[in-house]
Amino acid sequence: MSRFSPTLLSIRKLVVQYARAGGRKAPLIAVRGVSLDIGTGEIFGLVGESGSGKTSLALSILQLVPVFSGAVLYRDQDLATAEAQALRTARKSIQMIFQDPLAALSPRRTIQQSLLEPLAHFGIGKPAERLEQAIAALEHVGLDPALQGRYPHELSGGQRQRAALARALVSEPELIIADEPIASLDVSAQARIVDLMLDLRERLGVAFLFVSHDLAVVRQVADTVGVMYLGTQVESASADDLFEQPAHPYTRSLLSAVAVPDPGQPAPLVTAGEPGSVLTPPAGCVFHTRCPDRMPSCASIEPAETWPQGLAVANSQTAQYAHGEAATLQRKVKCHLWNT
Amino acid sequence: MNRPTLSVRDLVVVVHGREGSRRIVDGVGFDLAPAKVLGLVGESGSGKSTIAKALMGLLQAGLCTVQAGRMTLGQTNLAALTEKGWQKLRGREMSMIFQEPLTCLDPVFTVGQQLVAVLRRHRHLSRREARDAAAHLLGTIGFADALDLLASYPHQLSGGMRQRIMLAMAMGCDPAVLIADEPTSALDVTTQAQVLMQLTALGRERQTAILLITHDLGVVAQYCDHALVIREGKIVEAAPVRKLFEAPTHPYTRSLLAAVPTIRARRHRGSPRTLADQL
Repeated sequence: MSRFSPTLLSIRKLVVQYARAGGRKAPLIAVRGVSLDIGTGEIFGLVGESGSGKTSLALSILQLVPVFSGAVLYRDQDLATAEAQALRTARKSIQMIFQDPLAALSPRRTIQQSLLEPLAHFGIGKPAERLEQAIAALEHVGLDPALQGRYPHELSGGQRQRAALARALVSEPELIIADEPIASLDVSAQARIVDLMLDLRERLGVAFLFVSHDLAVVRQVADTVGVMYLGTQVESASADDLFEQPAHPYTRSLLSAVAVPDPGQPAPLVTAGEPGSVLTPPAGCVFHTRCPDRMPSCASIEPAETWPQGLAVANSQTAQYAHGEAATLQRKVKCHLWNT
Repeated sequence: MNRPTLSVRDLVVVVHGREGSRRIVDGVGFDLAPAKVLGLVGESGSGKSTIAKALMGLLQAGLCTVQAGRMTLGQTNLAALTEKGWQKLRGREMSMIFQEPLTCLDPVFTVGQQLVAVLRRHRHLSRREARDAAAHLLGTIGFADALDLLASYPHQLSGGMRQRIMLAMAMGCDPAVLIADEPTSALDVTTQAQVLMQLTALGRERQTAILLITHDLGVVAQYCDHALVIREGKIVEAAPVRKLFEAPTHPYTRSLLAAVPTIRARRHRGSPRTLADQL
């Protein structure tokens, strides 16, 4: 938080679970007690393989999937237990964009109509001013206002994602939750969206929760990175610390699997074993079945989240958690190796 | 094992649409040598997949025209093949795997049934022989419990496992050429490493020539021997991978390399931003 105080959103011991068909089966636990903080204007990158629970976590913030236990604290309020009216207010300041902008923009509305809707819904501005606000949002994302009469299908993939971002911006949010916003775009369109996110943060102070499986892009954009594996956040740290000195064995194997666009760099390494299943996560540490540094205790005792000593930690500061826990911030690891 | 080389010169694909005809592949030529991995890299719409389909004889005759100065696999002239000839060749001499394995695996048949069908069609094996061959094949792809896997349906498997099943199926008849069209674009990075390592190891072991189509320059750098950079249907640069990355000659290649994010370093803001800005 430090650089990005005050804290905007605090997630505490969040558990998201889904009932399974048949009723008698044990529920699928998608998120198992994750805590994280996002500061004002911070870009928090959440990475992990498919099935790691990153999308469930993103959706649960705005209660788009129910929270089983834990808290989502925003402006002194727990969104997990908030009344409908309070939730509506929060949704004005926390907006979402998704992987497929076509799914977020109505095919039967022009871009302008899609931009005006949130303004009308939240009662922002006088009706006469709303057109100007819509145009301002388009300018923020670098879309020609002349495109506002177009329908989504008339735009390219990159333009659509920018239109979806403009729609998220009209209600002047403090936080935008972006779930794989660039996964379906070409490299050049990806670079534009990434630059745009950095720009918006600079100009408008918007914070982002950026969910992605693309580590290289997260490296470019995120201030802080959380790594998830089978519903657990195994490590979080400033982006520089995490990429330059990964502490958790899973983070290390994730980074070493990346094919670096430089033939002089070492070849990617393959992690042993298959990714586990969220339905039957291993006991003890979730990663112990594939971990190269496994110790006997890993199979039975779940490691606690710790703030490891002895690791070089850039930007480390003592900060105050929303719930009063004091800790040396920036790097949290859930691993017995660091649990001494 | 003496494997034929796939040789292509002046490949042109013209698509006939309502608004006239467009050349989407324009004079492409390359050789694909045994046990080598050739990367074909470009952005969407550059014509990468069309080249693959033309090589496999998968383009619909009414919708487009394929012309080639030369398109040969060893002594076989691919340009002169009839549909029947293609059917004998595909899956045996030349195989292809795609980005989305679910479009190729039939949801109502088990993995075993589908593998056995391919093996019996081309290798004329008995049911039992084909089943043993299928189990052996899955073993070579690194699956420990092949028998369980043969009895599973595609939906019961993870994306990475499905893609490796596709690879097993494509390599089942020991083809001379394997075309892999974005085989790992839908996969997570750890699974990508696993699939591509197996793909390239199998290619070396069996002397298979591999054409690896990708938009990911990381994949090109780490898994290919040579690379072709393609843009708007034309090859703009062809080079050994090391040379391509160390000394790219074409401006498009340079801007492509500049746009690629890497986990090794944070990009400096204000450095080359996007391809569109540069070109």
